[in-house]
Amino acid sequence: MLWKTNKNGNKEFLGGQESRHLAERAALECDMFVADDEDECVSDEPRSCYNCRYRRWTATAFECLKT
Amino acid sequence: MKILVCIDDTDNIDSRGTGELASMLAADIEDHGWGTCEPVTRHQMLVHPDIAYTSHNSAMCFGAEIDESRLGELTAHAREFLVRESASGSDPGLCIVPLDGLSETDDLITFGKKAKQVVIAKEEAYALAERIGVHLSEHGGTGIGVIGALAGTGLRLTGNDGRFRGHFKIETESDQVTPAEIMRQTHVEVVKSLDGDVLNENETIVLGKKVKSVLQDGKSTLLVYNDPEGDCWRTCTKQQLKVY
Ligand code: SF4
Repeated sequence: MLWKTNKNGNKEFLGGQESRHLAERAALECDMFVADDEDECVSDEPRSCYNCRYRRWTATAFECLKT
Repeated sequence: MKILVCIDDTDNIDSRGTGELASMLAADIEDHGWGTCEPVTRHQMLVHPDIAYTSHNSAMCFGAEIDESRLGELTAHAREFLVRESASGSDPGLCIVPLDGLSETDDLITFGKKAKQVVIAKEEAYALAERIGVHLSEHGGTGIGVIGALAGTGLRLTGNDGRFRGHFKIETESDQVTPAEIMRQTHVEVVKSLDGDVLNENETIVLGKKVKSVLQDGKSTLLVYNDPEGDCWRTCTKQQLKVY
C-alpha cells in the first residue's frame, strides 16, 4: 500500500518525503509521470514521484494531482 | 543602484515554472540595457494546508545592478511581463527592492524567515512593503504570490537561503575537476564540504550527474561531500541539496 485518500479526496503518498525507492517504484508504475522543472526535482532517481510535475508537497509527504 | 527582483506563484501544474520566468525577466533587463543581473535563486516557503500553492510553494529571486533612472521603466516592464507570461489560474506577485538606502533590511529578513515558518496574510506583506518603501504588486488570481515575492527578497538578503536555479555543464575530459576549474567555468565563488570547510583550489572533485550551487554567506557555493570509499570529494546529490 503506497497511497491513502486524503481529506481533499486526493491520493496521498504513504512513504513520506524520504522514501526514494518507493517514490521511484510508484513513478515507474505510473504512466502519467512528467518530470517537473529541474529546479523542483529533489530525487536522484530521474523517474520518481518526488520529481513529478503532478506531485504536490504536503507538510509530511505529497499528494498526486493526477490520479 | 542595486535591486532585488522576486516573483512567486506564476505557474500552474502544466505551465512553465516560475524559475524560467525569472530568468526570462532577468534576460529582458539586460537586453533593454537597463543593467546586469545575477543568477536566480529559489527560496522555499512554508508548505501548509492553509496556503494555496501549485505544487511546491517556492519563490524565485535575482539581484541586478541597474541604472537608477531606469527603475520606473523596469518596474512597468516587470508588471506587464507577469500579466502576459503568468499561467492561467495562477496568483502572481512581484517585488522589487532598491537596496541602496534601505534601512529596514532586518524587517525584510525577519519577514522572509517567518514565511518559512507560519502562514502569513497578504495584508501583512503589503503593510511591510509600504512601510519600508519597496514595490509589491499582484497580477491576477488571488494575488497571494505577493507574500512569497516579498519573502523571497528577505531570504535572498540573508545570504544563506536557497539553491541557484539550473545546473552547471562543466567541460572536462574526465569526471574529475578542481575547484579552480569549476570557479573558472561557472558562477561558483567557493567550494565547501558539507561541514563548512573550504576546499583548496587544486583538490580533486568527482562530478555527479547534476552539479548545482546554493547560496551560503552571500556566495554561490558548491557543496561537496567526502566519499570514504573512493577517498575523494564528490558533488552533492539532489537528495543532499533539497534542504537548501
Ligand atoms: S505523482 Fe502521480 S502522476 Fe506523478 S508519477 Fe507519481 S503517481 Fe504518477
